[in-house]
Amino acid sequence: MRTENAVFLLVLLLAVGFFSYNVQRLLGYLSIALPDDRGGHPLVRLKNVITVAFLQKKILRDPVAGPMHALIFWGFVVLTAGTAELLLNGSFPAFSFAFLPASLYGFYSVSQDLFGALVLGAIAFAFYRRLVLHPERLEGDNLGHSDALLILGAIGGLMVTMFAVNALELARDPDSIIRAKPLSLALSMPLRALPAGLLTGAHALFWWTHALLVLAFLNYLPYSKHLHIVSSIPNVYFSNSQGPGPKGVLRFLDLEAENVEQFGAADVDQMTWKDLLDGYTCTECGRCTAVCPAHLTGKVLSPRKIIIDTRRRLMEKAPLLVGDRSELAHHALVHGEGDEGARTATEILEHRLLDNFITEEELWQCTTCRACIQECPVGIEHLDHIVDMRRNLVLMESRFPPEVLPTFESLERNGSPWAFRPDDRAKWADGLDIPTMAELVERGESPEILFWVGCMGSFDDRSKKISVAFARILQAAGVPFAILGQEESCNGDPARRMGNEYLYQTLAKQNIETLTRYDVKTIVTFCPHCFHQIGNEYPQLGGNYEVIHHSTYIERLLEAGRVPLDTDDGKVLTMAYHDSCYLGRYNDVYDAPRETLRRALPIVTLVEPERTRDRGMCCGAGGGRMFMEETQGKRINIERAEQLLATGADMLAVACPFCMTMISDGVKAKDSDVPVFDISEVVASRLRT
Amino acid sequence: MKIAVCIKRVPDMETRFKIAASGTAVDEAGLKYDMSDFDGYAVETALQLNEKQGPGETVVISLGPDVVQEQLRKALSMGADRAVQLKADRVPTDGLSIAGALAAELKDGGYDLIFFGRQAVDSANATVGPMTAELLGLPCATAVSTLDIANGRGTARRDLEGAAEIVEFALPAVVTIDEGMPRARYPSLKGIMAAKKKPLEVKPAQLGAESLTLEKMELPPERAAGRIVGEGPGAVPELVRLLHTEAKVL
Amino acid sequence: MANIFAFAESRGGALRRVAFETVSAARALADASGGGEVHALLAGAAGVAALAAELGKYGADVVIVVEHAGLANTNVEALAATAAERIKSGGYRAAIFSASAQGRDLAPRVAAKLGVSMAGDVTTLELAGDALVVTHPAYAGKVIATLKLTGSPAIVTLRPGARAAVEAAREARVESAQPVSDPAASKLVVKEMVVGGGAKLDIGDAPVIVSGGRGLKSAENFKLVEDLAAAFGNAAVGATRAVTDDGWRPHSDQIGQTGRQVSPELYVALGISGAIQHVAGMRNSRTIVAINKDKDAPIFKVADYGIVGDVIEILPVLTAAVKEARSKG
Repeated sequence: MRTENAVFLLVLLLAVGFFSYNVQRLLGYLSIALPDDRGGHPLVRLKNVITVAFLQKKILRDPVAGPMHALIFWGFVVLTAGTAELLLNGSFPAFSFAFLPASLYGFYSVSQDLFGALVLGAIAFAFYRRLVLHPERLEGDNLGHSDALLILGAIGGLMVTMFAVNALELARDPDSIIRAKPLSLALSMPLRALPAGLLTGAHALFWWTHALLVLAFLNYLPYSKHLHIVSSIPNVYFSNSQGPGPKGVLRFLDLEAENVEQFGAADVDQMTWKDLLDGYTCTECGRCTAVCPAHLTGKVLSPRKIIIDTRRRLMEKAPLLVGDRSELAHHALVHGEGDEGARTATEILEHRLLDNFITEEELWQCTTCRACIQECPVGIEHLDHIVDMRRNLVLMESRFPPEVLPTFESLERNGSPWAFRPDDRAKWADGLDIPTMAELVERGESPEILFWVGCMGSFDDRSKKISVAFARILQAAGVPFAILGQEESCNGDPARRMGNEYLYQTLAKQNIETLTRYDVKTIVTFCPHCFHQIGNEYPQLGGNYEVIHHSTYIERLLEAGRVPLDTDDGKVLTMAYHDSCYLGRYNDVYDAPRETLRRALPIVTLVEPERTRDRGMCCGAGGGRMFMEETQGKRINIERAEQLLATGADMLAVACPFCMTMISDGVKAKDSDVPVFDISEVVASRLRT
Repeated sequence: MKIAVCIKRVPDMETRFKIAASGTAVDEAGLKYDMSDFDGYAVETALQLNEKQGPGETVVISLGPDVVQEQLRKALSMGADRAVQLKADRVPTDGLSIAGALAAELKDGGYDLIFFGRQAVDSANATVGPMTAELLGLPCATAVSTLDIANGRGTARRDLEGAAEIVEFALPAVVTIDEGMPRARYPSLKGIMAAKKKPLEVKPAQLGAESLTLEKMELPPERAAGRIVGEGPGAVPELVRLLHTEAKVL
Repeated sequence: MANIFAFAESRGGALRRVAFETVSAARALADASGGGEVHALLAGAAGVAALAAELGKYGADVVIVVEHAGLANTNVEALAATAAERIKSGGYRAAIFSASAQGRDLAPRVAAKLGVSMAGDVTTLELAGDALVVTHPAYAGKVIATLKLTGSPAIVTLRPGARAAVEAAREARVESAQPVSDPAASKLVVKEMVVGGGAKLDIGDAPVIVSGGRGLKSAENFKLVEDLAAAFGNAAVGATRAVTDDGWRPHSDQIGQTGRQVSPELYVALGISGAIQHVAGMRNSRTIVAINKDKDAPIFKVADYGIVGDVIEILPVLTAAVKEARSKG
């Protein structure tokens, strides 16, 4: 071993050692967090890593930045082999991949060159995009560009030095084993005329530059948002955003646990390690904020800021909690954290994530539409952060917008968000010959399905028409069904989304008790919130039922030819369907409502708004927003109504009573006469009588 | 300050009441209970006073069977310090009987203020508060919509029909709380947990003889179904006629 | 034959309508008992005696006038002591106060002084043997309770407007009396009277609410709504969330789940479709009128009376009709 190799080995070990130190330090900070079991279903999680991380599925949803990032990422993966060879070779000159079969080594060589060039191209485009195009989502939230530009520069530098090293080596020795690298060979041609000494010296210079750049890059990561290079793969693995299990299920909160005195999160040490890992993983790409309905309508909420704030606060508080006294801990360890001057430890401990970083206003603006999570390429689950902080606000501090109080009180007293009499719940069904479960049981019968009507369907005069329409379809199809009538109560979704887990569990347990008493197996509902809640979240409390949304159920009935429909083609119509978040993004039901419309109206032309299916925009009612004032910015329902009206459709279709209210109001606000119907109303209007 | 708040357990009013077989009570099946709305304001007012004016004690008192402990616990979960149940098999119809039992409990309590709701939303007699004041020989400001306490004196606004009066009184005093005072806060789960550990004392209610009895309860006549009077401006005279003769609101 | 006591409420040197109602109700009881006397207590500052004759018009046989400078404003402690003393010494079968703010303040104290119970806010009352039987709307008006007062005297507060004052003119004898306790010694005193009038009615208090929705098309058209409110005289203007969100009306005017919850005697919904958010805040109103161009609008489901049509066209006609109806009395 020559001296320079020994020196390099030492540098290498120091660099790797320092990187490892930082990694274990960051991992150590996670120890302040709450546990969260994310271990099960390794195969599903692995699949997520392959599709989301390696195949860049989410990244590629952006048609411009997507391919750019994918090229850099794939290049990074491919070029890591070359980097490994280079680092080992630098320490042990005898080492090379040349032991590989010639064809494989040739392939490897070509790939290095090819991806090197592709990455360089992508980097050039990235510079252009950031410095000239200024995409909107890269702005805002007080973010600068220096970190990103530094990283882009470093990657560019790595590519340039790599090509320089290879070209210089080939200029010196055209028969080198790396001669299979076509671009490097081409670059070496004009260099061959240079004197051998100069070539050797330049080679050494570029080699060292390249190698040191690699190590510097590695050690810069823990100080940068580009830590995602390390953390995104585990974050995607542990994320539940793509499954396993149903999407968007909120964390269960054990309210009866002994000695638990904190419910929800007001600070980072009250969050789970996954929430904190989300913080390490965010690259501030802004895909989440760019699709957030609150942000888009001029409100302060930015899901990206929620995650960045979590990280900033973590980096401020965790060192104190774990007793990390190293000087390094007091500096900006991950880009963007709150280095707000010389704050004393006492000051830091007096502060907290809630209020000092994230305001109540931001948290209440969220519609829980899941668009942010859907877009995040690295498996961040923003809603866990938001709902956990809402839980702290409600359960610990009784803080919520004042107009929510009647909703909570009414849910408690009347089992519905509005103070309607529970005994009026089945009034919509008067004279329709619809039995209640209690009546059927008395007769010794049991129905095929339970029609879960929901509070909107029971009390909102517009939605009652949907209840009637759906009941008529069931009756026409000869499906034996029953309703719970007075025994039904709110499923608890609004309470749960607003952080009132206590109220939610009270309502849910009561419903489960009722459903169990009647031994209910199959539930059909036209409210996506009831659908999601009972089907996907009641299992946490021991309620397991097959819950089907009416869009799916009607489609199946239509497919089976069980619904007698008019045989004419109906009117020539252009119709736009608005996706409900809890049906679409939460439950992947996109086709059933559309298919139902097509089957009911054979010559309908379905047009899609610009934002549709898993990119559909929320109507503004979710997450309890239905029961809150919307005082900042433009109203979400108006924005969405505009998008839907822009399709030029003659009629709008929805599959959610909350969307119905919001979209109808939005359409009215635009002084438009375009009617809004639930898909079941469209089908019911075509029933053969 | 030491403040007592007398609260009553009442059924939620958003129900279609049925009359029980006895004919002298509402059918309790399926009813949800809470503390009377105005009593909730009274608890809130007491809590805010003590929160603002430094150390104090808020004691909630309710008369009735053991189920009233539910409402006492709610008041504790809102932040009251301790609770007293004056145990009785039922809440008497006679307000004076109730006032007597409350006065016996309050007399030597050393309270600076004793709060009631303006009236219970179920029986709606509005008598117990001022009767208790009379039995205790205390001034009583009824149905107040604002309240200031300073230097051992209180100032309150009472809304009269078409006017209002500002009253001033010396403490100790009884105050009955009306609309306009802060709504009851929503208890946090933390408050609910803490309430489980707060003291709730049960004592027999010293009820006097009753000279007011409930003979009968019945439902008022059903409200007629709505109807469309007509179309366009031409329907206005008919509407006005109906408002005048049928609905009697004009 | 039984003598009945009535408290004749006055304010600012004038009798209130409820004074005639209590006197008239006492008259009816006395007559039903076979012709007893009605004794009315009238208290106030010097000069209040001049009002005594008016009470005779409604059936008072005796008016006990208590004139004292300390009674210019309500002095509940002095009044309670004076009334209790008189009721005790007068041997009345019953004592009737109004269930007004003042009567509700005063009657329970009188009852407690006398050691008898009382019934509050009654709408009917009749003597039945030794007892007085009354009815009283309870449970937010959803239940009518019949109560029996067996104490003597039987004390009630009578719901204002529950029974009209009926003239039964006679020459009332006037007796002068002095307050039993010194008004100046009262622990609670009225410092100031705030006389209403001019001030805008709050939607929480107004007996009539005229409320507008998006059907009004613009903020300017709310002038028509205000005109209607003015025609009613006792109306406040409300609005839907859509309207307050659009800034046509202030947020404080919003009626609905996220705004104010109201239950006036009359609610007029103008150009309001009746979304659940709004209905949740007003459906407990006693009478609901809806005007909307869409005959299928959900608001008609909760309305007692509806007109289908253009609200902008109908409003001026309605305003004129209401004005006319009210001018007729």
